[in-house]
Amino acid sequence: MAMLCDPEALDSLSEDAIAGILQYWAHFCDLTDSLLSQNVPSCGLDSQLGPTIATLCDHGLASLLQDHFLQSLEEAFKKSAVKKFWQQFHSYCDASAIEKANFHEQDNWPEEILSKSLKEICSEKRSQENCLLVLVENLKSFEDRIAKRESEIEHPSSQLMSRYQLMASSVLLTTLPWDFPDILRIYFKKKLEELNSMIADGDSYELEINIHDSQNDADFYHMDTSMCGCNGLVMQIGKVVSDLRSLGFTSMAEDAYSFAIFLLLKSKVNELAGDDYRVPVLWSLKKWIRAVPLQFLHDLLGYLGDSIEYEKESLNVKSPLASQPSSFPGIGIPSEALVRWQLRLEYFAYETLQDLRIGKLFEIIVDYPDSSPAIEDLKRCLEYTGQHSKLVDSFISSLKYRLLTAGASTNDILHQYVSTIKALRTIDPAGVFLEAVGEPIRDYLRGRKDTIKCIVTMLTDGTGGNSGGSGNAGDSLLEELNRDAENQDGADFEEDGGTDEKQAWLNAERWEPDPVEADPLKGSRNRRKIDILELMVGIIGSKDQLVNEYRVMLAEKLLNKSDYDIDSEIRTLELLKIHFGESSMQKCEIMLNDLIDSKRTNANIKATLGKAAAPGSEQREMNISLDILDATIISSNFWPPIQEEELNIPSSVNQLLSDYAKRFHEIKTPRKLMWKKNLGTVKLELQFEDRSMRFTVSPVHAAIIMQFQEKPSWSSKILAAEIGMPADTLNRRISFWISKGILTESAGREPDDPSFTIVDSMADLNKNGLASEGCQLMEEESERSVASVEEQLIKEMTVFEKFIMGLLTNYGTATLDKIHNTLKMFCISEPTYDKSLHQLQSFLSDLISEEKIEMRDGLYSLKK
Amino acid sequence: MKVKILQWHAVGSWTWDAQDETCGICRMAFDGCCPDCKFPGDDCPLIWGVCNHAYHLHCILKWVNSQNSTPHCPMCRREWQFKA
Ligand SMILES: [Zn+2]
Ligand SMILES: [Zn+2]
Ligand SMILES: [Zn+2]
Repeated sequence: MAMLCDPEALDSLSEDAIAGILQYWAHFCDLTDSLLSQNVPSCGLDSQLGPTIATLCDHGLASLLQDHFLQSLEEAFKKSAVKKFWQQFHSYCDASAIEKANFHEQDNWPEEILSKSLKEICSEKRSQENCLLVLVENLKSFEDRIAKRESEIEHPSSQLMSRYQLMASSVLLTTLPWDFPDILRIYFKKKLEELNSMIADGDSYELEINIHDSQNDADFYHMDTSMCGCNGLVMQIGKVVSDLRSLGFTSMAEDAYSFAIFLLLKSKVNELAGDDYRVPVLWSLKKWIRAVPLQFLHDLLGYLGDSIEYEKESLNVKSPLASQPSSFPGIGIPSEALVRWQLRLEYFAYETLQDLRIGKLFEIIVDYPDSSPAIEDLKRCLEYTGQHSKLVDSFISSLKYRLLTAGASTNDILHQYVSTIKALRTIDPAGVFLEAVGEPIRDYLRGRKDTIKCIVTMLTDGTGGNSGGSGNAGDSLLEELNRDAENQDGADFEEDGGTDEKQAWLNAERWEPDPVEADPLKGSRNRRKIDILELMVGIIGSKDQLVNEYRVMLAEKLLNKSDYDIDSEIRTLELLKIHFGESSMQKCEIMLNDLIDSKRTNANIKATLGKAAAPGSEQREMNISLDILDATIISSNFWPPIQEEELNIPSSVNQLLSDYAKRFHEIKTPRKLMWKKNLGTVKLELQFEDRSMRFTVSPVHAAIIMQFQEKPSWSSKILAAEIGMPADTLNRRISFWISKGILTESAGREPDDPSFTIVDSMADLNKNGLASEGCQLMEEESERSVASVEEQLIKEMTVFEKFIMGLLTNYGTATLDKIHNTLKMFCISEPTYDKSLHQLQSFLSDLISEEKIEMRDGLYSLKK
Repeated sequence: MKVKILQWHAVGSWTWDAQDETCGICRMAFDGCCPDCKFPGDDCPLIWGVCNHAYHLHCILKWVNSQNSTPHCPMCRREWQFKA
């Protein structure tokens, strides 16, 4: 026992007195020991303790005896309670990772052991506190006596209890096993999961959602102060928390249940959000936060009795971040702690959902517009967290990884780009992030040769690719854009002719607060700032190039028509005129007009010529009447260059054509009709002894097959001469009939002169492995009638080839821009260089594929 | 085997078949149309003078109407008369 004596106090004493004091002191020590060992203060001890303490205090030994008493408490606490307490957890703390996992799976672990050991140590501690109170009482009565005599004196006994608390918790903390915080986390995690499933099973949460689907926030903070089933559970948890608090583990306990709450919230976000992008989840998430964690915290803080202020609604606590008023009608004003909790939980939920959605943004956009609820959620999350740059970075990298690869078709890339535009303009009406996200897509598309064609097809042709999902199937993008614009105009009819001021006033008049869940389909005004068409044109470079490409595609389509039905082309042209102006579309309009004129002229010629043809005329004998002939007569100056091929068509048809042309000249004098005999479509029926087959083919194919009426077998060279085309062209074109099983090819007398024979009977046909119906209507992929834009370009650019080669010889290397600018500077008169950068790039890549030049790191040079 | 033609949809182009390619007044192609017209062909016909020079009808009419005295062919300067 350490005897610390106050030397000054003792100096003045006699030896006897000192011996007396020592006796008292020994008695005090004995009393202390028996008090602590009994754990229950009894009256007998109490009566002995009073005088002993008074005497010792009279000798100025008050602080000494307090120290001794505390020290004894500490030793007793350490020896029994603390040791026993930690021992409960040894088996877990010493366990291996696998064994620990086994612990986790046990239903009542750590609940049972934790509440039991907490209960034990707390009761131990409480009895120690009671012992301490005995000392405090006695000290107090002594101090009171002194105070009557001397006016000023300290009351050291009042500090005693807090000294004890500090001692107890520091003893516990210094002996704390490493794993204890983990045990607490697991405890709270398990308990909260239990609570969550209780609330979910009780349906109270689901029910609430249905009732409050009015989306009115006021009804939202519905908090049951007495949640029947859950209350018992919350009390259990509350007991553990308050025990932990009394041991001085306040912040450790709060860390542990915070951890568990956030873990549960995170798994709730994952569960609600999942991979279904068609339902909004933010709303149910916020509901759940209120129904489960906030309700729990409310009840817990209530149980602990330290938080809730049942005041009248005088101070309106508003959360700085949330737009909603944070009042909790069920429970009055929420405590500040609860409001802080709500903000933390909601921010965490927003951020977690946002990260989840950003991670899957690529898929979400593929699903757009079905996925617009997910987009709308993401928008709200980003508004809350302000982490838009996260979206941009993550999305660009997934684009590069998933989309901008050689394996993706240009069509896929374009459709994803359009969906991206549509989806992102919801999140980002000003188009700032879209600009960043769109840049790699645009750059990539510029490097692809079929980009213009695909864009034009997507814009004008509804039959080809999927037009992004919205609207009617088979709608072209242009049609869709137009419909969107019309809907917009319908909704904003007041805008017409309104000045900005007037508009502002109207907007103010019409103002109403945003509903909590805005309908994603009802665009807000500023969404129109992003023009999809403009972005598409931006990829191509100029609207002229787009129009030019469209004209070539239109020509191809029109020249392959076997009727004069151009309703959809007229519709498309009208839409194009709206966007690109009437004058840009002039040539296309003339082309369509040619079809309309042709239909009229065709009817006219056939009516008048039919009468003129006298009975018994030549055509009758040939068994071909004028009925079968129709013609499209074009104003060739306004059409793109036409591919012309020499072709001798069968004389019977030829006769009809010249009759037709003659009649045309008679009607339209002095205009003449010049046939482009290789163009057009022929529907014919091949009649065999046992079957017949129908085909729609080009005149070349018709001319070839008709030759086989006269002779069942032809050598390539003779047939080519008969039809009036080069043999190699014939060999290429005749493969159509071979592929259909109508002709077979066999080696001829000379190696480069194969012969072709008609397959006459079904038996032979089946031998060739081609099953066939009695009557077939087949569509062949016809050769193109119109020179493609690329072919035209190559023709036009060839004159500059020499210049480019000379330039590269001089400079060594040059960038695209440099070549472009040099050409612009020097080629100012016949032929004038008027090509775009994109056209030049396309031509240069042709030269590269011809191995005339090469390009490295953006620098062009002559091929070595 | 016999081939029965069900339909032959042919393609041709029309031309005014004038000696020159362009109109001497507007410098546009004859098979095109004059600057005032939208559509070629029937809407913007050619006309020949007795001197055998051809112009867009609209072009020569404008020319004729702009002359104070007797109009002449802009190409050969002979007095302009429409060929019957
Ligand atoms: Zn003219
Ligand atoms: Zn005219
Ligand atoms: Zn003349």
